[in-house]
Amino acid sequence: MTDIPNPTPAKKAKAISPLRAAMLDFAASPLAMIGLFVMVVMALSAIFAPWITPQNPYDLSQLSIMDNNMPPGSESFGGMTYWLGTDPQGRDMLSAIIYGLRMSLMVAVTATLCALAIGMAMGITAAYFGGRVDTLIMRVVDLQLSFPAILVALILLAILGKGVDKVIIALVIVQWAYYARTVRGSALVERQRDYIAAARGLGLGHARVMFRHLLPNTLPPLIVVATVQIAQAIALEATLSFLGVGVPVTEPSLGLLIANGYSYLLSGAYWISVYPGIALLVAIIAINLVGDQLRDVLNPRLRR
Amino acid sequence: MPNTSSRALLMSASAALALAAGAVGADTLRIGLASEPTSVDPHYHNLGPNNALARHIFTPLIVQDANQLLEPGLATEWEAIDDTTWRLTLREGVTFSNGDPFTARDVIYTICRIPLVPDAPSPFTLYTRAIAGLEAENDYTLIVTTDGPAPLLPNQLSTFGIVSASVSGAEDEVVFGGDECTGVGDAPASAEFNSPDFAIGTGPYTLGAYIRGEELRLSRNENFFGDAPVWDEIVMRPLTNSGARVAALLAGDVHMIENPPTQDIARIEGDGFTISSGLSNRVIYIALDQGDAPTPGIDGDINPLQDARVREALALSIDREAIRDRLMLGLSEPAGELLPAPMFGTNPDRPAIPYNPDRARELLAEAGYDDGFSIVLGTPNDRYINDGPISQAVAQMWTQVGVRTEVDAKTFSAFIADRNGFNFSAFLAGWGAGTGEMSSPLGALVATRDPDRSLGGTNLARHSNTEIDDLLVEALQTVDDGERERLLREASTIAMDTFAIVPIHYELTTWALAPGLEYEARADQYTLGAAVLRAD
Repeated sequence: MTDIPNPTPAKKAKAISPLRAAMLDFAASPLAMIGLFVMVVMALSAIFAPWITPQNPYDLSQLSIMDNNMPPGSESFGGMTYWLGTDPQGRDMLSAIIYGLRMSLMVAVTATLCALAIGMAMGITAAYFGGRVDTLIMRVVDLQLSFPAILVALILLAILGKGVDKVIIALVIVQWAYYARTVRGSALVERQRDYIAAARGLGLGHARVMFRHLLPNTLPPLIVVATVQIAQAIALEATLSFLGVGVPVTEPSLGLLIANGYSYLLSGAYWISVYPGIALLVAIIAINLVGDQLRDVLNPRLRR
Repeated sequence: MPNTSSRALLMSASAALALAAGAVGADTLRIGLASEPTSVDPHYHNLGPNNALARHIFTPLIVQDANQLLEPGLATEWEAIDDTTWRLTLREGVTFSNGDPFTARDVIYTICRIPLVPDAPSPFTLYTRAIAGLEAENDYTLIVTTDGPAPLLPNQLSTFGIVSASVSGAEDEVVFGGDECTGVGDAPASAEFNSPDFAIGTGPYTLGAYIRGEELRLSRNENFFGDAPVWDEIVMRPLTNSGARVAALLAGDVHMIENPPTQDIARIEGDGFTISSGLSNRVIYIALDQGDAPTPGIDGDINPLQDARVREALALSIDREAIRDRLMLGLSEPAGELLPAPMFGTNPDRPAIPYNPDRARELLAEAGYDDGFSIVLGTPNDRYINDGPISQAVAQMWTQVGVRTEVDAKTFSAFIADRNGFNFSAFLAGWGAGTGEMSSPLGALVATRDPDRSLGGTNLARHSNTEIDDLLVEALQTVDDGERERLLREASTIAMDTFAIVPIHYELTTWALAPGLEYEARADQYTLGAAVLRAD
């Protein structure tokens, strides 16, 4: 017994799952890990905003105009300290930034998921059926991609009106085409593979082949695009809100907070614009760092 | 954020340049306008920037001074012969900038032309409607007859400049005929006035060039009948972004700007620039829809705003002094009426509406809204001084007494479309009394909507009180100043006691000027380059 070598360690090394390998690859970059850490911290503070902020900036009854434009570190009449100062409406900037982040992330993630679902379905359909269906869908995609995203979003919001739901709809309409294009590209390659021919040979339905066999194999590039697009969506939402066509003024996102403070920059009240600006910058950089590393990890050509 | 950082750069650059910006050199005055005139035609659009520009080129019969008191313009005297007849004595020896003499014919032509201006977005017919007959006794005496007593005729005649009949292509004899004049010829289109060949008036300046969106040049009119104008040339540039306007002033690119942002005033003064500010005739108010139940911005089939107690509660819950101190930085005066005292028809003893949130909660409870209600407050965010932030502050204050308020802020053009479609239950807006007396805001904002009597034109809250209407109609037909003022005061008192409308404050209008310049603040908010003086 004793001289039979134990095969387990070698087996273990071989049996390392692709997911685990990807995770290890990802962890190889300290910058990406920092990005991931920042992303997680921001996501958690956004999710738990109502429990961790000193004030609910969306609840007008908690705000006092008498506390407006206070510099960072000031103390309110009620004894509360405004660590990052207050804005022209007397909102605590720290709370407003966390809530703004929550609003920005919520809008961006919801829009990205919806756009992903729509884009994926359209892209797979185009690649799988080919021919006229492909031409039709892809020409719509081309048309859409030929317009700048911000222009399309502005026109849509001018038609739809204001509101969080409208911003999400506009972002979905602007972004689905990217996913459709990406999915179609990789699905076209996968479609030629034997396992698809085998699945069809078994007489499986179109939907089953498309979504159970084709789709999972097109996911890696999609994950990369989705990550980068979340950052894009955050930036786009911020731009729209900055221009005053996004979220309502009483429920500011980061872009709207920056817009609120914009006219005070010249008069020295820098904190109203600058801190939300930094938060926006950090969020977008962190997501992009994670996205870049994911691309490297999931791209077989770059496999080290 | 690229915007933020480039802005910060601009900031420090302009701070450095401010030191280099000296006093005004040469004899050109450059002005940064907050909003651009839409036309040089003085009869096209009854809008502050247009009227201010027109005052440089065209002189009205009667002019309003900085406090909107009437002074002789092209008419040296005006008197009511009886209730419906006025005699105007015109100034002799006046010539237009092209050398043509000014006579009664030009006045008749101007009044005939006003209804003929095509597509006027806000016509001046409002001010000529009362005129039923117009006859020239000789070249310098005009007899004006009106349908009924028209005590405001002199005020109305002060709102539009006189254009040249000959330049506009009139025949030698122009005869006023009520709806139809003869000898008018083909009335020119408004766009033609944008050319220096056509914009011929008797004002202190003549049009040099008008490049829409870029620049407006005025040159001294050598034929002007009054004191010689101070500046050889006045250049106006539209700088609609307030930050850019301040930066241009600090950098010395312009010598004077309109409406410096309140938060920048301390800094501008600190750099040695002059601030001129004065009470305007503009009231910022909140209108509360009393027309229908349900009303669009309030949930359910109710309209609590039809109850005067609710309106009073909403009025009492606004802390006007906090708005003045924290948002306007002192540049407003809390209001208790629609026109600041001591203007004509105001009650000088009436205080501003007090701040009393406890009483507001009581009133809401009395009216049956213990739990309050929710409401949407519509507001423009680029029209009045700090309009967006004021609405948000009001939303805070209303929410604190239990009326949960959401703010719907839009650019002015979008806001107007929604407001005129009755899409707001409550909205914030402003009203400048062009005539400088109480019948203007009361007639437009509070009187029952009645196009036939041209009353209630902007009464989008659809308030209706026959008592106020009757007093107002009577006042508008009373030539005796004392009696008319009494009637207007009474009408105003009733409107304020029933909270027909909720005034917030009167705007103080401000101008910032380069060191060494002076400008007397005007109640009508006009920026008149011709009235800018050197301090010495």
